[in-house]
Amino acid sequence: MALFRLHLPLLDEIKAKGVRRALTDKADDVVTRVTAGLNIREVRGVLRDDAPARPNPRLKPHAEGFWLHMKPTYYHNLVDGLYPTFRLGWLSTFFFAFEILTGVFLMFYYTPSPLVAYEDMLNLLSNVPFGRLMRDLHKLGAEVMVAVVALHMLRTFVTGSYKKPRQFTWATGVILLGVTVVLSFSGYLLPWDQLSLWAVTIGASMFEAIPPEVVGRAVNLIVRGAPEIGAGGLLRFYLLHIIGLPLVGILALGVHYYKVILHGHSLPPEAEEVGVDTAKRVPMDRRTYFMPQILTRELFYVAGLTAILVGAAAFFYHAPLEPHADTLVTPLHTTAPWYFLWVQGMLKLGDKVLWGLIVPGVMTGLLLVLPYIEVGPSRRYADRRVGLSIGALSVAVLAVLSYMGTPWYAVQTSADQEAIAELVPQTHPGPLRLAPWDDLVVGTYEAGQWQNAPNATLQELLRIFQEGVERVESPERTSPSGVIVIEDWQNGLRKITLRVLWTETATGRPGENSQSVYLHRDSGYGQGE
Amino acid sequence: MSEAEVQAQPGVLTRVPMSRREFLYYLWGVSMALFMAEAGGALVWFALPRFREGEFGGVFSVPVEQVPAADADPGEFPAGRFWLVNLGEASVTDPRQPQDYPMAGGVRAIYKVCTHLGCLYRWVPVNERFECPCHGSKFLRSGTRIDGPARRNLDTFLIQAVDEAGTVLAESEQDPETSEARSLELPPSTVALRIDTGDRVRGGPNSKPGGGR
Repeated sequence: MALFRLHLPLLDEIKAKGVRRALTDKADDVVTRVTAGLNIREVRGVLRDDAPARPNPRLKPHAEGFWLHMKPTYYHNLVDGLYPTFRLGWLSTFFFAFEILTGVFLMFYYTPSPLVAYEDMLNLLSNVPFGRLMRDLHKLGAEVMVAVVALHMLRTFVTGSYKKPRQFTWATGVILLGVTVVLSFSGYLLPWDQLSLWAVTIGASMFEAIPPEVVGRAVNLIVRGAPEIGAGGLLRFYLLHIIGLPLVGILALGVHYYKVILHGHSLPPEAEEVGVDTAKRVPMDRRTYFMPQILTRELFYVAGLTAILVGAAAFFYHAPLEPHADTLVTPLHTTAPWYFLWVQGMLKLGDKVLWGLIVPGVMTGLLLVLPYIEVGPSRRYADRRVGLSIGALSVAVLAVLSYMGTPWYAVQTSADQEAIAELVPQTHPGPLRLAPWDDLVVGTYEAGQWQNAPNATLQELLRIFQEGVERVESPERTSPSGVIVIEDWQNGLRKITLRVLWTETATGRPGENSQSVYLHRDSGYGQGE
Repeated sequence: MSEAEVQAQPGVLTRVPMSRREFLYYLWGVSMALFMAEAGGALVWFALPRFREGEFGGVFSVPVEQVPAADADPGEFPAGRFWLVNLGEASVTDPRQPQDYPMAGGVRAIYKVCTHLGCLYRWVPVNERFECPCHGSKFLRSGTRIDGPARRNLDTFLIQAVDEAGTVLAESEQDPETSEARSLELPPSTVALRIDTGDRVRGGPNSKPGGGR
């Protein structure tokens, strides 16, 4: 009696049908299992774009497999082209996957501690093969994803696709927009540079403003992990970024996708009445099946987009890295990320509870319930003049508020400081630090005589300086002049002093403001380019 | 078939009495909700960071030589997170000073953090005021807000003036009307200032354009 019996059915089959026949049958069986329903002949039929048999075997993977049950079996011909979806929903999903993938790779070289996080960044940029590319891809993907998700929502609004029966799809979409934006923002703190620290300090201080005070205080402490952002806060933001928000995102995305399959893609407004469930009544001659057309196309998109992103990150886009976080200095011209500039703009208007909490809260709330309060009976553009006008107006208002969030509105400091900050800004390297080291010839240069500088780099720097210096001229301060002094300080190290001089009109005495920066031959502000 | 289904007729609202089973389900639901709320409360408690009250303050001693001269640029003390300002004749009579907050001459210790959203403001000598780089709040040398989204004056710390022996010669006190710390005239024999940053005096409310309560 054997303890166990090894039985290979294949051997029986070979005995019965012969080797060749048995192996082909086995291969067919394996392919059918892997594709959840298609045998070799049917897969080849897909690749050859033969007309499907009846009943259509290509629907089986959608019904029986996990991956394709998230995709509709066919699209209506009218949403097959670029209009009206512009593929924005698909793109959002692509970027979500793209961010998870690049993010997991970045985690190989990252430790969420203020002691080493910044060092990890430097290591990633200078020591890890393709480390910088990976970081640039992750950051670029995040920026594009925010734009794509926002445009997706705008498109859904414009075509009226949020109306019955797709109200809840819209609501989950608003949640996904929130997740996207907060995901992007929570990633800000992780490099532990100046940009991180102060963007997140402002964000956390907004929570602190929540009334009543005891609630605001508690929320602020929970977010920061301590009275000041430090090790605890960094860890909390890290966990939020890599686990908390992705989890919420995946759940919301699942619901969102399910609803899209349930109700079908909304057709262009002129082709579909409000309340119609497209998915259930697409005539046979109006169907574009997922296999092979849509599948092929989406695989092509993935390949093409990845190529574009890699190309852009390799040649054009580099994720910024500011100086190491410094809790004692807020850099001049600190700004929120571009998608939060509108909040920064509103915060400059006045009360932080009103402009930082109530107004954005009401705006988000209105967005969430929009399909339940805007129940106009038509999706046609001509019948929605008021709604579309309000939408266009909102976009315009957001644009103006975003401008108000930039340093050009209400945070300009004195002209002498601005003149220096233009050459050596505190939020990015700026023209002086990026200038070729060899062009910074030792000497003293008058900004007014920029044409006489020994090379084009210095001429350009002095010209920019002179433009800023001229703005110092005012009734209180006259005859401003600018001087740049370049000295050899140590071997391979130069000290560059920017000096703005003027005469005080009231007292006739001279005034001065100067700042020095030290540049090393290998400081690499050009980031290795 | 349950009782409810038998009685239900299209278009007719029927009242179905609550059965014991249904009632117990609701009771169970309510107790589950209560339990979840308690668990939520426990989680909030869990997530609140642990730190000792006043851990981030301390008593700082500043030798009198380091105190800026009257109306000179304020001195920054990063370790204590404060600025020392010395209000002289020019600051006291500054026409920008809001009437709601009249200032007497003397020394004030001003907390380094903007009362708006926690950024660190900077002293801009040409404009003779503190300016916040984040949202553009502006404060005078005295710490009084004159512009921008901040809604109150800068926070301050109380100052003690001590002599060689460590005897307290004078200390700044809170103005009963504005509840702000008054500026401290330093007695001639002052050797050092003692500043307790564990105890912060909130700046008074100030929200008018140009400054004012």
